[in-house]
Amino acid sequence: MNSILEIRGLVTSFATDGRKDRAVAVNGVDIDIPRGAIVGLVGESGCGKSVTALSTLGLLPENGRVDAGSAMFGGQDLLKLKDHELRRIRGNRISMIFQEPMTSLNPIMTIGRQVSESIMLHGGVDKATARARAIEMLEKVGIPEAKRRYDSYPHELSGGLRQRVLIGMAMVMQPDLLIADEPTTALDVSIEAQILRLMRDLQRESGTSILLITHNLGVVAELCDSVCVMYAGEVVERADVFTLFRGCAHPYTRGLMAALPRMAMKGQRLYNIPGSVPNLWSMPAGCRFSPRCEFAKESCRQEKPALADLGDGHLCRCLFPLDDVPQHEGDNP
Amino acid sequence: MAKYIAKRILSTIPVLLGIILLIFFMLNVIPGDPVTVMMKEHLKEDVIENLRQSMHLDDPFFVRYFHYVSGAVRGDLGMSWKLHRPVTSLIADAFPYTLRLAVCAALFSWIIGIPVGIISAIKKGTLLDHVSMGVSLFGVSMPVFWIALILQNAFMRVLPVSGVDSWKCYILPTIVLGWSTAGRIARLTRSNLLEVMRNDYIRTARSKGLSPAAVIFRHALKNALIPVITVMALQVSSLLSGAVITETVFSIPGIGSLAVTAINNRDMPLLQGTVIFTALIIIAGNLAADLLYTAIDPRIRVD
Repeated sequence: MNSILEIRGLVTSFATDGRKDRAVAVNGVDIDIPRGAIVGLVGESGCGKSVTALSTLGLLPENGRVDAGSAMFGGQDLLKLKDHELRRIRGNRISMIFQEPMTSLNPIMTIGRQVSESIMLHGGVDKATARARAIEMLEKVGIPEAKRRYDSYPHELSGGLRQRVLIGMAMVMQPDLLIADEPTTALDVSIEAQILRLMRDLQRESGTSILLITHNLGVVAELCDSVCVMYAGEVVERADVFTLFRGCAHPYTRGLMAALPRMAMKGQRLYNIPGSVPNLWSMPAGCRFSPRCEFAKESCRQEKPALADLGDGHLCRCLFPLDDVPQHEGDNP
Repeated sequence: MAKYIAKRILSTIPVLLGIILLIFFMLNVIPGDPVTVMMKEHLKEDVIENLRQSMHLDDPFFVRYFHYVSGAVRGDLGMSWKLHRPVTSLIADAFPYTLRLAVCAALFSWIIGIPVGIISAIKKGTLLDHVSMGVSLFGVSMPVFWIALILQNAFMRVLPVSGVDSWKCYILPTIVLGWSTAGRIARLTRSNLLEVMRNDYIRTARSKGLSPAAVIFRHALKNALIPVITVMALQVSSLLSGAVITETVFSIPGIGSLAVTAINNRDMPLLQGTVIFTALIIIAGNLAADLLYTAIDPRIRVD
């Protein structure tokens, strides 16, 4: 299969103060990112999306640890690489954008230097060349007066501009894969659209594959080719974006879709999935979504569903996958 | 920037006036007649009365205050009652010793404190971390006079324990003074570095593929040292205003010793002079810290 990144059976756990057992945040996740595609990774906060991404790049915090699995990238298993080998890939062939543009840039280093730092590190070029390339990149991501802004500090820029800088920083080495962890969550809606457009334009131009982590299905519909839905550390549904929006099979995905605000629903109360993501130490025995699922039957609480193929690569982890077409089909792309 | 500095210097004037007023008031209310202390109570009433008048001791409080301030503005802090020399020249004589000791102690505390803090942060939770933080805490917590006496006892065969005859005389006082400062700086560096390492931009730096050393030294350390630098600047000014205990224990004739002499002799002009000098140094240290801050942190602009 022509995938740029293949994650198989990823298990990541965290040590927590005062507890002997580790909290398993990601439990056997499989994700494929086809070359040149944009894959959405969707789910509520705390379902393991970011941890999945950080695990593959070896960027977990000190108390985190990958316990099992593989992440094949260009014939290498990223999870088995030594730190110095992984560093040659990070920021060069795989780069990452984070959620918080306000805090993700070093406050006392000029933005230009933060961009050119990557170029000098991976490109092996001198300072002047790196500077020229950094300015070029800043122009490309839409920083006005890039030459002058090169010497600006992050606090002199708005959130939207800072996220552009971070995107420029991530894209400057023309990576094979970009992992964008909720890149627009902290931005307001009008800026969000600009940033998403910028990412799509850069992706088309460079052919970079993107793993887009988000909790916003609207963003997925706009940008992604295929979608992975995660719940409580597991992938619960996986399909291409048209299949998913035409008819999702997992009740959780359906809940997420119903929670999207729509023009047709003006004046009505917005739907929300009852309850919250289960505690990492007390996972339900059967299906992890069963306590919140309106369709759950007794067997759901006993038996653990596997990720089953419903045809055409549409995978779903549910004993009783939904086959009805959601009522709000007309609003979908 | 020049405007800011000028403003800051101007704003010290009311502070200094206030300090002089305060010290004047306090020396006014403490018991003991300076003349009888000076003359050891051997003099006749009328002589004492004459002396009191020539020293303006009978003038009203605010008249004396005004006289003192108008003299101070012209650089005249009066004559020492006991030593019969101008206070300014006594301070000028004492300051080089204090300066030498302060510079040695400050350099000692930075050269030891910052690297120890960095290593402790990197090796967090290891034996090395615990040992260096323990030694730091010891330096911070133990009274200076105690450390001084212990070191004097331990090294009295190898190093001079008092006086200022050679550079060797400064070794023990430097360690005594520098130890607590180094400990404070080490602990502050460590905790700041650990805190900075949790920031989002450190994760960004790591995601670029930078080596751990580059992440720490290029991205984390400068951010972590901003608060440390403030502490360092304030520490220097407090060292410069005289380490009373250390100077006394090691018989170093610096500002601290001068102040102690003044107190013992009820020598008000000398005591006022050392207090005002100390205040000036502290004010200058604060200003230096603020200016350093703006030089390092681009988010802080003074004008």
